[in-house]
Amino acid sequence: MDFPLILTKRFNIQNNHRLEVALQHGAYSSLKKLFSMKPEEVVEEVKKSNIKGRGGAAFPTGVKWAFIPKDTKKPIYLCVNADESEPGTFTDRYVMEYDPHLLIEGIICSAYAIKSHVAYIYIRGEYVKQYKILNEALNEARQAGYIGKNILGSGFDLEVWIHRGAGAYICGEETGLIESIEGKKGQPRIKPPFPAVEGLFGCPTIVNNVKTIAQVPWIVENGGEAFAKIGTKESTGTNIFGVSGHVNNPGYWELPFGMHILEFLEKYAKGVKGGKLKALIPGGSSTPVLTAKECEDLYLTYESMRDHGTFLGTGGMIVMNEHTDMVKALRTLTRFYSEESCGQCTPCREGTSWLDRLLKRILAGEATTKELDLLIEISDNMEGRTICALAAACAMPVRSFVTKFRADFEKYVKPVSIPVSKVAEKIITHEPVA
Amino acid sequence: MEQKMIKIKINDKEYQVPEGINIVEACDAYKIPLERFCYHRYLPVDGNCRTCMVEIETPRGRMLTIGCNTKVQEGMVIYTNSENAVRAQKASLEFLLLDHPLDCPICDKAGECYLQDNYYNFGRYDYRRIVPRYFKGGKAVDAGDHIVLDQERCILCTRCIRFLDNIPGTSELGIVHRGHVSKITTFPNKPIRNNYSGNITDICPVGALTLKEFRFKQRVWFLKKTPSVCTECARGCSIYIEHNRGKIWRFMPRENPKLNRAWICDKGRFSFKKNHENRVLEPIKDNQNIDFNHATIEIETILQNYSWNEIAWLCGPYSSNETLYILKTYYGDNVFAYIPPAKGHKDDLLMLAEEYPNEQGIRFFGINTDIKSLINKINNKQIKALFILENNFAKFNEAKELVDALKMLEKTVYFTSFQDETAKQVSLIIPIRTFAETNGTYINATSLLQKAEQAFEPENQDIVSLPLALAQIVYYLNKTQKRYSDPSEIFNEYKNQFPELKDYSFSNIPSMGIQLSLPKIADEPFKNKKVDFNVFMWNDYVSVTR
Repeated sequence: MDFPLILTKRFNIQNNHRLEVALQHGAYSSLKKLFSMKPEEVVEEVKKSNIKGRGGAAFPTGVKWAFIPKDTKKPIYLCVNADESEPGTFTDRYVMEYDPHLLIEGIICSAYAIKSHVAYIYIRGEYVKQYKILNEALNEARQAGYIGKNILGSGFDLEVWIHRGAGAYICGEETGLIESIEGKKGQPRIKPPFPAVEGLFGCPTIVNNVKTIAQVPWIVENGGEAFAKIGTKESTGTNIFGVSGHVNNPGYWELPFGMHILEFLEKYAKGVKGGKLKALIPGGSSTPVLTAKECEDLYLTYESMRDHGTFLGTGGMIVMNEHTDMVKALRTLTRFYSEESCGQCTPCREGTSWLDRLLKRILAGEATTKELDLLIEISDNMEGRTICALAAACAMPVRSFVTKFRADFEKYVKPVSIPVSKVAEKIITHEPVA
Repeated sequence: MEQKMIKIKINDKEYQVPEGINIVEACDAYKIPLERFCYHRYLPVDGNCRTCMVEIETPRGRMLTIGCNTKVQEGMVIYTNSENAVRAQKASLEFLLLDHPLDCPICDKAGECYLQDNYYNFGRYDYRRIVPRYFKGGKAVDAGDHIVLDQERCILCTRCIRFLDNIPGTSELGIVHRGHVSKITTFPNKPIRNNYSGNITDICPVGALTLKEFRFKQRVWFLKKTPSVCTECARGCSIYIEHNRGKIWRFMPRENPKLNRAWICDKGRFSFKKNHENRVLEPIKDNQNIDFNHATIEIETILQNYSWNEIAWLCGPYSSNETLYILKTYYGDNVFAYIPPAKGHKDDLLMLAEEYPNEQGIRFFGINTDIKSLINKINNKQIKALFILENNFAKFNEAKELVDALKMLEKTVYFTSFQDETAKQVSLIIPIRTFAETNGTYINATSLLQKAEQAFEPENQDIVSLPLALAQIVYYLNKTQKRYSDPSEIFNEYKNQFPELKDYSFSNIPSMGIQLSLPKIADEPFKNKKVDFNVFMWNDYVSVTR
């Protein structure tokens, strides 16, 4: 398979985080072409490339950029979401670690396109090493004139700030991130207004993932159409896929979209360790789990994942072999989400903890089969009824684990004659009492 | 300002609503039941309770959304009772009740609790928590001068936080921790201390915030609500007197979008105690209680012994319009009003320095406020008897001259409800009813005429209200043939003299008051506090939210 490396092209070069080394290997080469283009043309190229947000939601980046009101008099902000805390996801960190100048170059391109003059990198608090490297790279870039006033004589000003998180998963949600940069408690905002209209400090704001931003220079340099040729029709370009769990060779690889998942696991991750494949979480812990059978015709594309009722997410896969206890695996996830729910809106605040407590009870062997139905019903009541997607991120794995691996769960529970779902179906009339 | 009306469809029925309002407000206007906890009409929308879930038709099919953050649009199709919407509403309630203590019988909010009411109306009754309850703790935390906080009962709707952030701007409360362990708290050693703190207990939908002055004093279902006006300052906020068996238990703000929105200050709120303190319940002559017949003879004697010119009548901005009208119409030239100095606390929200309710009434009826000429007349012995009408001027140092002049008088009669400083200076005290015990109207600083209805009968039912006593005096002196049995009849008489009042009668004065063209003596309330809210200015405006 022949494809250009977009994100990881300089990963193997020693000391690539130093500006002089990176410059020797082609860093900042896109800026010359960038400043010869109009910002609208850059947005147009990005739209043509059909690049989708790599943070997990897969929203078309060019479309998102176009949401900024044309006649706004307020400053526009660019936020780079480097708050990578999704369990099973570990790819953004390497971009910042091995090629920070690619990210800075991407920030310059993106900021130029959306006419922003201030950009914030919101970096996860635990990423200390990455923060130091990125900060150093930023200082070098600033001294060399890539950041600051009148970049390379183009007349374009850009200031970049790094904002460190304090260990909250929810600050990776775009409005939670914005609140956190503003110095508030990281709680997602109610939408509308959307950040592209009213975001950071009440001004239009674009929040993009590290990998999305880092791919923009290549699009500027080679054009959107060239980018769209990589991968499949709907899933264009490349992505860094990471694999963890029961595989012989866990790690990350940059690949174009479209590879068969089992081929990928065989070829790169060197196969499943300790038995046969039992389950696979395709893109970070929030995405619904897949069984081994479902993986048989699964490809690493957005559309194939969607057809299987799951999402490509961040591209961080978790592989589980046949000896995995799915109940324990799920409890690990619900504990995480109940811990990380910001506590703002009711279904998530109470639901995540309720699910977690129920799973604890199931694991202790006290539950009956009706609790399994209850798990699914609680998940249904949480999903799509909250301010942000955290409730859904907890509900989707719970529902998929319980439905797809019910046999595992039934080992823990005692049977009951009437399932609770039948009792719950009693419809209580919606007649208020005056 | 005319609001543009648009057509929407709720539950397959068409309705007309003003543009720019949200779905909850639209439902409220037509009394379509839709539960809510965090939404409050006068606070910014937060959308965290997720109970006002409705389904709306979109090009991509029906979509669940919250009513409070969704503005109505022309042709919008809304379902509040579709299967999905009802399920979402029930689910939210179930989540809210998950770890909430079920001790309603010992909770002071029972009876006016949103969780209780909504669960009664919309809840799902089969219990299925199964897992052990999480005990949050934090019972009866002393959170401020007037506030007791119960963190366990809190449902984290953040109404109180948004109120403190947006109205007084003091931001004492906040949420600590995250997830299901998060709770409302103050900063250590920083209690809730502002002039509006009592309001957070009104808007608290559950029993998390309660008022020290009210909690466990009276169950709310025993309380009767009488619409009234706060008399603590010239703002004259709309309030409810909540009383039971002739005793006031609390004042609650009465929603008035033109005036106090849904808030009152703590000074006004806690003035409810005054009604029962230091009351005069029987006439007093030279420190001796006498009966009413005796007192009537005393007054008749004064009226017979002195000519009309030798008697002066001193009222003040404490009296209702009805009193002032009787004085102005029948009492001639010797009617004076003493306006005390404005020394109260003043802010940009509601509180005004003028600590009396009806200064504008004095202007409206044109009562003479020239106290110097009264003092001169007393000192020149032109005036020999003075009737003081509910005006406790002796407590002000500025009125020293007037107090000294009292010694020159041969007879001083004081109509008052309370044993106060002026009561010590006079020879005869006649008890009268307070504003809670009689009907009356007041004009506030921004020229809004409001009525205060009679809440209950006084402890001693022989006590009459001041306007009726004054009307009785002029009837006795044959100055008029009119007799009144209630002050509302006086309003219905004088309203015809004023074009602005002509269309109303006492019984149909709107709850928002009547705006008069009288010059205002204070700024509009909530200066510089632009809270984004839409107010129905409809004729059949009904207050739905607490």
